[in-house]
Amino acid sequence: MGADREGGARRRPVRAVAYAACGAVLLTGCASMPDSGDLRGVESTPRQDTQVRVFAMPPREGAQQSEIVQGFLEALTSDDPDYETARKYLTAEASRNWQPERSTTVLADGPSMRVDVAAGVDDSGDFSYTLTGAKVATVDAQGAYSPAEGNYAESLHLTRDKKSEQWRIDVPPRGVVVGRSDFQRNYMSVDKYYFASNTVAGTSPATAAVADPVYVRRSVDPMTHMVRSLVSGPTSWLRHVARSSFPTGTALKKDVSALTPDDQNRLTVPLNDKAARISAAKCNEMAAQLLFTLQNFSPAVDEVDLQAGGRQLCSLTEVGAEGVARRGSAEPAEYLYFVDSEHRLVRIAAATGDRAPDPVPGPLGEGNTDLQSVAVSRDEDMAAGVGIDGKALYVGSLASGGSLGDPVLRSVGKTAQERLSTPSWDAQGDLWVADRDPENPRLLVLEKGAGEPLEVKTPAGLDGRIKSVRVAADGVRIALVVEQDDKSALLIGRIEREGKAGGRPTVSVLALRSATPVLEEVSAMSWAGDSRLVVVGREQGGVQTIRYVQVDGSTPEAPAPAALTGVKEIAAAEDDRMPLVAYSEDGIVRLPAGTQWKKVVTDGTAPVYPG
Amino acid sequence: MSGDSAASVPGRYGTRAGRPVGRKTAGSRWGRFLEGGLLQGGVQGSPVLRLFMRWVRRPLLPVMRLWRRNIQLKVVVTTLLMSLGVVLLLGFVVIGQVRNGLLDAKVKASQSQATGGFAVAKQRADEAASGTGEDATSADGRSPQNVIEWMSNLVTSLSSGGQGAFDVVTLPTSDTGGDTGGRGPRASGRVDPTASVPENLRDRVDESTTAAQSYTRIVYYAGKESQPALVIGKQVNDPNRDPYQLYYLFPLTQEEKSLSLVKGTLATAGLFVVVLLGAIAWLVVRQVVTPVRMAAGIAERLSAGRLQERMKVTGEDDIARLGEAFNKMAQNLQLKIQQLEDLSRMQRRFVSDVSHELRTPLTTVRMAADVIHDARVDFDPVTARSAELLADQLDRFETLLADLLEISRFDAGAAALEAEPIDLREVVRRVVSGAEPLAERKGTQIRVVGDQQPIVAEVDARRVERVLRNLVVNAVEHGEGRDVVVKLAAAGGAVAVAVRDYGVGLKPGEATRVFSRFWRADPARARTTGGTGLGLSIALEDARLHGGWLQAWGEPGGGSQFRLTLPRTADEPLRGSPIPLEPKDSRRNRGLNDAGLTRGGGERAATVPAQATGDQMPSRDPIVPRPAAVAPTADPTALPGNGARVVPRPASGARRQDDPSAADEDAGRSEDSSRQEDSSRQGEASRGR
Repeated sequence: MGADREGGARRRPVRAVAYAACGAVLLTGCASMPDSGDLRGVESTPRQDTQVRVFAMPPREGAQQSEIVQGFLEALTSDDPDYETARKYLTAEASRNWQPERSTTVLADGPSMRVDVAAGVDDSGDFSYTLTGAKVATVDAQGAYSPAEGNYAESLHLTRDKKSEQWRIDVPPRGVVVGRSDFQRNYMSVDKYYFASNTVAGTSPATAAVADPVYVRRSVDPMTHMVRSLVSGPTSWLRHVARSSFPTGTALKKDVSALTPDDQNRLTVPLNDKAARISAAKCNEMAAQLLFTLQNFSPAVDEVDLQAGGRQLCSLTEVGAEGVARRGSAEPAEYLYFVDSEHRLVRIAAATGDRAPDPVPGPLGEGNTDLQSVAVSRDEDMAAGVGIDGKALYVGSLASGGSLGDPVLRSVGKTAQERLSTPSWDAQGDLWVADRDPENPRLLVLEKGAGEPLEVKTPAGLDGRIKSVRVAADGVRIALVVEQDDKSALLIGRIEREGKAGGRPTVSVLALRSATPVLEEVSAMSWAGDSRLVVVGREQGGVQTIRYVQVDGSTPEAPAPAALTGVKEIAAAEDDRMPLVAYSEDGIVRLPAGTQWKKVVTDGTAPVYPG
Repeated sequence: MSGDSAASVPGRYGTRAGRPVGRKTAGSRWGRFLEGGLLQGGVQGSPVLRLFMRWVRRPLLPVMRLWRRNIQLKVVVTTLLMSLGVVLLLGFVVIGQVRNGLLDAKVKASQSQATGGFAVAKQRADEAASGTGEDATSADGRSPQNVIEWMSNLVTSLSSGGQGAFDVVTLPTSDTGGDTGGRGPRASGRVDPTASVPENLRDRVDESTTAAQSYTRIVYYAGKESQPALVIGKQVNDPNRDPYQLYYLFPLTQEEKSLSLVKGTLATAGLFVVVLLGAIAWLVVRQVVTPVRMAAGIAERLSAGRLQERMKVTGEDDIARLGEAFNKMAQNLQLKIQQLEDLSRMQRRFVSDVSHELRTPLTTVRMAADVIHDARVDFDPVTARSAELLADQLDRFETLLADLLEISRFDAGAAALEAEPIDLREVVRRVVSGAEPLAERKGTQIRVVGDQQPIVAEVDARRVERVLRNLVVNAVEHGEGRDVVVKLAAAGGAVAVAVRDYGVGLKPGEATRVFSRFWRADPARARTTGGTGLGLSIALEDARLHGGWLQAWGEPGGGSQFRLTLPRTADEPLRGSPIPLEPKDSRRNRGLNDAGLTRGGGERAATVPAQATGDQMPSRDPIVPRPAAVAPTADPTALPGNGARVVPRPASGARRQDDPSAADEDAGRSEDSSRQEDSSRQGEASRGR
């Protein structure tokens, strides 16, 4: 015992020291915030959903007529999957016939209701209202948005049910009627992707993906809706120039109710038997379409797994999808080009903050020809320049050496403003340019930037002059600024080419529609995304602003770029990582993401990205 | 052996004297309890329940025993429980404080936020009302049409101020009517509005125009987990002056996280504190308990007779002082015991030697006395009477010497039992017939009861006969001419012989003292036979040698009964006696009472104290050796004659002159150093032979 205790006494100080050391180490580790440590990935936290939801209420027992109408209109703004609550305000027969998905009418301030005096007799068992408002847009059954104007007036008839003595709507308005802010709250614009039909997969240049914006309800399983909408084919405006890889008749399998990606962000899409016997290449194209369409969805989709006929057709990741088709928004431009004070074509690296321009190699950068505006082909091999007075169009290579030949096109307009516009290259390497001669306004295309200019057929109804022209990266859509009587509008049209055997092909621009119904004057524009343009314009009675517009005429959700005065020209890349560049009173300025406008050079004009 | 210990042995069993032999002796107290419980199950509860209780308690019994016996466990468990209680109390207080503090801050911030929100809502309603008012003048009447969109926009703008910090909900007032329309609830942040706003708050907001708040649980759509929240609501008017309810919901997520952090911290700290306190208590108690346990162990070994055991002492603390004092005490005890043992051994040898040495001269004296006695007829009467006296006293002297030798043989442990199966009836007959002459002289009749059946036991016939003769002669002598009853019985593993007389009996306390050496009852009592005063002592030793009991019962005026109980076979422990110690015809049993003598006389009390040691003692303390084994080592407290002589010595000096051997007796008795009384008492009539 005594010996034990002595042993313990000998060991105890050692142990105590060890404990104290451990404690000190722990304490120093815990008592202060760490200033170094191992690296760790950050989990992406889902964005806080601050969406306001409207909870539709079924009609009250014994509700008044106006209350019924109010409740019905309110239920239209809720996110009931199939407007179940709204249907409760309808009579049984009206509920059967009412098809809310057929059309959506957007009114400026929501529908106002007015009692129809003619039919408004209280006790007779029927009652009539007229819904009025200022139309802003309509969305058709395919989800395609089209701006609209004019007054909206739709009658709405109530009847008192014989048995239950309850007022119900027996003649509802066609489709859904919502106010603009409710529309923006409940709907969102999503790009469906198809392939330009004038290109063939696998050829060079590769297939171009065409964005087809549609509106879906934001909170009613948008992913499944988008997949259904994509499979069902492009909207009618785009149908002539875009093709879907999904065979005709393809649809989601019947028993599929909702599609959600699994925890590896893989989305499994079961298709019906129509898609069962397709080639792997075709399947990859289908998967690429899906991936492009769902790229910005939450939860994210990184991989698509297509199934049909009980087996897996193919599986494609996002990286693989980029190899299937080319998207303008996925091709970063290497340089930003502009004309310097010596009227030479110079360039600076696009993605960096570099502010020292270099003359481009090749004849256009040598300064032998004074240039007014330029365009660089999308592969950055060729460049076209319009001379200082707009009279002549030169095309030259961007490879060093060689000399600039004769101008490929001349204009005979009286002033510089009435001669050639800024040219634009399309994805196939054709050069587009407008001749602004009021005597002979023409839209011309030069195949491969050379040869005889080909006059593009424009729709017969097109009045006014084409002031500027920009072709989208997919080569099937074209943006035109058309001037008429002091007003100018941005029109989007589709390009259709008809190749004649042996002869020259016919190129025509069709189905022009306004993308800026609210702007009175559009001074500059540029493509800034697959279905988005940046526009410098002025509203009626307003001042010049820079804003984004969707090709279908709606306003995108993204905030407008920071304001800038005196913008004369603007350039944006379809890849939204590239900064916006403008030629303003302060020279050439650019807007890197998240900052204010920054000056690039003072004495330069005509900034362009390739395209 | 002393009278006390001699008496204690029968006394111990005396309590059971009335119990019939053969009755199953109950085991532990627990066993008895269970037995009673099971027997009375119908009264106290179902047997199934008791079985269940037993089943539950059985594994706990070792734990309970450990709890009773282990002071370290007690202290550690008590410390743990108390510190746990303190930590819990502290934790509740601290958590309550933190919770209130967090909540106060949150409530204040939320209230100001919500108040601002209500003001904004009112302002926007006023703006919209003035705006539409102009329109309304152009159109006809009021225009409630924009409220649907206006309300959605209001909720959007209000909720956009605090992403995640709060959510905004509007609800219609419950008394909607007229053209306010079925305005549906609106909610930001995927909140389920109707489930999240408590009903009583809605009623309150309906009734008053001031803001009200409540705690609730926000229920979310889309699988988000619900969380506690503060909800502040107010009734606000829309542009059409129709009221609606506007609620701000502030999730208490952060507060709950803070609180759970505090909780976790407190729980961890509390756990550590409790464990630490337990460990500290364990260590500290161990430091104290280990030496105490060692001391206890040493003390046990000391008490078991291993007097050389000592504690190991280290250091100079209190424990060391305890150890030193203990060791000193043990040292002194050992020394004293050694001295007393030596003394006792010396005394015994002295008695033995003296007895032996006295024999040789006594033989010579005897022969000479016989010659003188034979020739007494030739002497003158006085001389002849002297010769007769000489012969008588020599006889007594020889007897006394023989008894002394016998006693010293017992004391030396030299007595050997030569047991063989015999019929006790023959022994009794021999003894009775031997005592017949004396009985005839006394006018006493000796009756033998219970000799119909042979009573065979494995005993030493010589010793049993000596014992019985002693008892019968004593009974005849003290029987005052009344009958003496000898009763035989056998039951279970025991046989018993009881001798009953109806003489003067025994005073309270005498029943134990009759077995003391040289003890005399009333000296004034008439004596016809000269006893040595050692007869009952020897008889007791004989009985003990058999593993039996010799017990006495008596009551003043009611006679006495001596009972010898022997195991039927040697080395079989006795569990009871076939004959009750107190006879059936005792005064008490008959309901008689002497004047001034309370029922249940003192002699019973004399046996009762021995009961206190209990019959479990040998089994409970195995280190304590059997009394028989200790007897030769002469425990100093157990020296013969230690018991107080209750009988006062009468003033009779004449008897001494009548007793020529008084001097010899004195010499023999002087061996007992502890004896202080007058030696003359030895000459008096003893209750012996």
